[in-house]
Amino acid sequence: MNAIILSAVLGVVMMFSSVFVKNKSALKHIAAAGLLVLLIANIADTYGCSLFKIDLHNMLRFDKFGLFFNTIGIGATLIYVVLSGRDIEKSGNYVAEYFALIFFVLCGLTLLTSFGNLLMLFIGIEILSIPLYILTGSDKRNLKSNEAAIKYFLMGSFSTGIMLMGIALIYGGTGSFQLEVVRSVFASYKGVSFLEIAGLLFLLVAMAFKVSAAPFHFWTPDVYDGAPSVFTSFMATVVKAAAFVAFIRLFDARVTETSAAVDWKMLFSILIISTLLIGNITAVFQQSVKRMLAYSSIAQAGFMLFALFSLNDMAKEGLLLYAAAYSLATIGIFAILIKMKDVSFEGYNGLAKTQPLLAATNTIFLLSLAGIPLTAGFFAKYYMLASVIKTGSYTWLVIFAVLFAAVSAYYYFRVIQAMYFKNGEAQTDTITPGFKAGMVIVAAIIVIVGILPQTILNWFYF
Amino acid sequence: MNNLVYLIPFFPLLGFLINGLFRKSLNKPLIGIIGSGSILASFVVSLLLFFQVKSNGALPVQPLFSFIDVESFKIAFAFQVDQLSSLFLLIITGIGFLIHLYSTSYMHDEPAEHFGRYFAYLNLFVFSMLLLVLGANYVIMFIGWEGVGLCSYLLIGFWFKNNNYNYAAKKAFVMNRIGDLGFLLAVFWILAKLGTVEYYEVFAQTAKLSNADIFGITILLFIGATGKSAQIPLYTWLPDAMAGPTPVSALIHAATMVTAGIYMIARSNILYTMAPVTQVIIAVIGLATAVFAATIALKQNDIKKVLAYSTVSQLGYMFLGLGVGAYTGAVFHVMTHAFFKALLFLGAGSVIHAMGGEQDIRKMGGLAKKMPQTNWTFLVACFAIAGVPPLSGFFSKDEILAAAFEKNSLLYYIGVAGALMTAFYMFRLYAMTFLGQFRGTHEQEHHLHESPAAMTIPLIVLAILAAVGGLIGIPEAILPNAHKLEAFLEPVFEQSTRYVHEAHTVSHSTELMLMGVVTVIIIGVIVAAWRKFSKYQYSDAEETGLGKVLENKWYVDEIYDAVIVNPLLKLAGFLKNVVEKSGIDGIVNGVGRFVGYSARQLRLLQSGQVGNYILFMVLSLVVLFLVFWNETIISEFLKKIF
Repeated sequence: MNAIILSAVLGVVMMFSSVFVKNKSALKHIAAAGLLVLLIANIADTYGCSLFKIDLHNMLRFDKFGLFFNTIGIGATLIYVVLSGRDIEKSGNYVAEYFALIFFVLCGLTLLTSFGNLLMLFIGIEILSIPLYILTGSDKRNLKSNEAAIKYFLMGSFSTGIMLMGIALIYGGTGSFQLEVVRSVFASYKGVSFLEIAGLLFLLVAMAFKVSAAPFHFWTPDVYDGAPSVFTSFMATVVKAAAFVAFIRLFDARVTETSAAVDWKMLFSILIISTLLIGNITAVFQQSVKRMLAYSSIAQAGFMLFALFSLNDMAKEGLLLYAAAYSLATIGIFAILIKMKDVSFEGYNGLAKTQPLLAATNTIFLLSLAGIPLTAGFFAKYYMLASVIKTGSYTWLVIFAVLFAAVSAYYYFRVIQAMYFKNGEAQTDTITPGFKAGMVIVAAIIVIVGILPQTILNWFYF
Repeated sequence: MNNLVYLIPFFPLLGFLINGLFRKSLNKPLIGIIGSGSILASFVVSLLLFFQVKSNGALPVQPLFSFIDVESFKIAFAFQVDQLSSLFLLIITGIGFLIHLYSTSYMHDEPAEHFGRYFAYLNLFVFSMLLLVLGANYVIMFIGWEGVGLCSYLLIGFWFKNNNYNYAAKKAFVMNRIGDLGFLLAVFWILAKLGTVEYYEVFAQTAKLSNADIFGITILLFIGATGKSAQIPLYTWLPDAMAGPTPVSALIHAATMVTAGIYMIARSNILYTMAPVTQVIIAVIGLATAVFAATIALKQNDIKKVLAYSTVSQLGYMFLGLGVGAYTGAVFHVMTHAFFKALLFLGAGSVIHAMGGEQDIRKMGGLAKKMPQTNWTFLVACFAIAGVPPLSGFFSKDEILAAAFEKNSLLYYIGVAGALMTAFYMFRLYAMTFLGQFRGTHEQEHHLHESPAAMTIPLIVLAILAAVGGLIGIPEAILPNAHKLEAFLEPVFEQSTRYVHEAHTVSHSTELMLMGVVTVIIIGVIVAAWRKFSKYQYSDAEETGLGKVLENKWYVDEIYDAVIVNPLLKLAGFLKNVVEKSGIDGIVNGVGRFVGYSARQLRLLQSGQVGNYILFMVLSLVVLFLVFWNETIISEFLKKIF
């Protein structure tokens, strides 16, 4: 509860700060401080110290899993603002509003990690998405940015329509928006209701759109590529992970196991296969690192979908780990990408000579995304695949995923190859020592999690 | 006191690290002091432990840390100091120290960096060798076993700018690896059957092993030993290993590493005692190696090659001893051989040093006057190896031959024939080097000098040991209860002794008579060789007939090349040029091309048109519905409508 209210309040505060604070560069410090407050409030909430006591009538339900995810999401945003705050400033004239929108996105995120009612899910998704439409178009004079914003908005609206349709069908079948009621109806049903199955299928498609699972991913490359890089970073990490948490909350085990008429595992495996296939294969041919990362985010979504496939405790743990590992690494890669003058693969040629530290940390991030041992990404992938193996069937799916993880090594290593083995003079903006220190810390977290994943997870579950 | 054990390998390891890491910044005297000092420190600790073992018996096993700990499979990194290992500790650190001292002078012309590298390798070698004998289980022994193999490789190829030396190093490594495979398989076999590799536990549970198990394990271990200890068929690397600096030959390829196989079998003596077939095989191979290598040594002209074949031959005697159950005799011969063969190599090094790198004995001669200390110490060693009483070689060789006589007199006669050849080629070597006229160039003659004290002191110490070292093992036939070594080592071989419980069948008088006859013949051979070769005149006339075959080492290398090496190279070439290029590369690149092609095609889906995207999404949605449109849903649907 703390995080929902505080993030909304802080968003409003940020908006007004543009009036009172004339010094633009102070804004990012205010935002960072606000995020820190938010982070602490949310951790306090996790330990049972809630500032607000409101009867919610089960519209929202707070559980450990959601609150932990809030911590990860807010923490990742904090790191993101610290690393890329300067670049957010540079992306347009309305700096305070950008930060305010980020806080509103976080508000949507906290709703999505705690909804207990389908309407709350819908509101959360909208609160999450609308600020992103604006952020995507924040570079007003750039045609690509505008195009991306309008495409995102159009397709986002379309998926919202599908989602509302799904919610309406489920309401028609069960007579309630409450998740608990819907579940109990599903659990008690002897036969299968067409309305509920169809509703759930619509909801699935809408959520698949949000997490950019193929074949509902088409918006992703265009939007990620067109949006200012600094906001792409945010969209591809925190926002995507939030959508995944909402997805897994919705498709809790009881819904899918009881509706026997539809083989949900088969359905998810189709989604996973097409996502891994399209994400990984298309990424191979990209010439721009930014666009490659867009496809890579689709490919990574394919892996995160495994959590929905297996829906056991290990999957939930793994999703937390995956969200953290993927977000950190991607934020780091984007932070460097934003500093690059040229974001094509050639632009990275020889970075190891001009900026050895950035190249080294970038290598760690890329290795983590590729799932190389001793990085957080390895254990994230390990947990996902192990959760599938625990379900006892569909081993072929795991083999398929591992093969595509191997394909992904190709395009991640292309960047490493460019940085270390190609001749060139990679041009970057000025790099401050503070930025370097930040990169080293993020890289260190990734390596530490990669060496001691159990310690981190145990710490999460105290 | 017990907890000092770990210090023994610790000092050389420290020396290795210091010399290895700081070889570019340290100066030569300091490197020499660190290198030799670390071994001296180990020697002092070994001496203390030796006396403790002598008075109190074996020390309890000292676990340092848990090396492998996976569920029920546990291997401790533990050290075991008993009579056998404490004796080897003294040989390794004692002779090791003398050779380090000698090296400070011998290697003095090397630049500081390489000087440091040399001592780092040498210390690492001693460290590995100490691990090998200290380990309380086969796995630790294997770590040391591989470590000495690595150091041997590094030191043979020490002058790596000469490609022939690199080739020799590679050959030694590969030959050893063949043997190592046998060792490893034996360890796996033990582990599979008994679930442990600790010596104490393995030897206590031998009853659980079937005869086939014991035969397999002992033969595989012996294959490991034939690699490391240069026995037929894996001996060919040792003569080539002479490419390394001469002190290395003395330490690694004469005194210590090559005896690792004997140590291993002596350590596992109970297994061998229980496998009589293996014992026969070992005895036959050992004897064959002894005689075969001796014949080759007769015609070699490189001073180090003669010594190398002599080493192979002497190692063969040790295996003969192991094969006939004379474990004490074999270990005894390891010790005396370490004295006199290290001395011979160091003496040869002194000669090579004086001759400015010349190793061909046909171009030497008359060095006795110029190098008095080298001369007399070398002579002592020659008498010792030839087996002239009362020098050390006499006692140890006699013990082995006596045991062979008990088993089968044929083994004895062939063994004696080998011993006669030993006397002949050693005095041929001595006479051609030190007696007669100098046959080298004037420049070399002018340059001739006695070596400095750092080189002669080790020679003198070793000469004394080679002379009197045999007195700790005087046979019963000469003096009752004077075999101190046997009494000392008794606990190690106790299990085997109990297993065999055989009485001596040869009477003391027969033994004494054989000794006397052999000694007389050996002295006769020595006199003949002395007279013949002190008048040697240089000629480069080609040898003919048998002489040519012997000079070319029975063409064994050529046969190996033709039968094994070249077919393997052809196969490798086929795999590389055909299977790899068109097979494996084709598949791998094909996959790559396929992915690239798919990427180009899939990319086209991303048209940039929102209308297309939404159409695709709707189509996908419809497909999803169709996929799950099964009968139940249809019937439900129909019910709702009607």
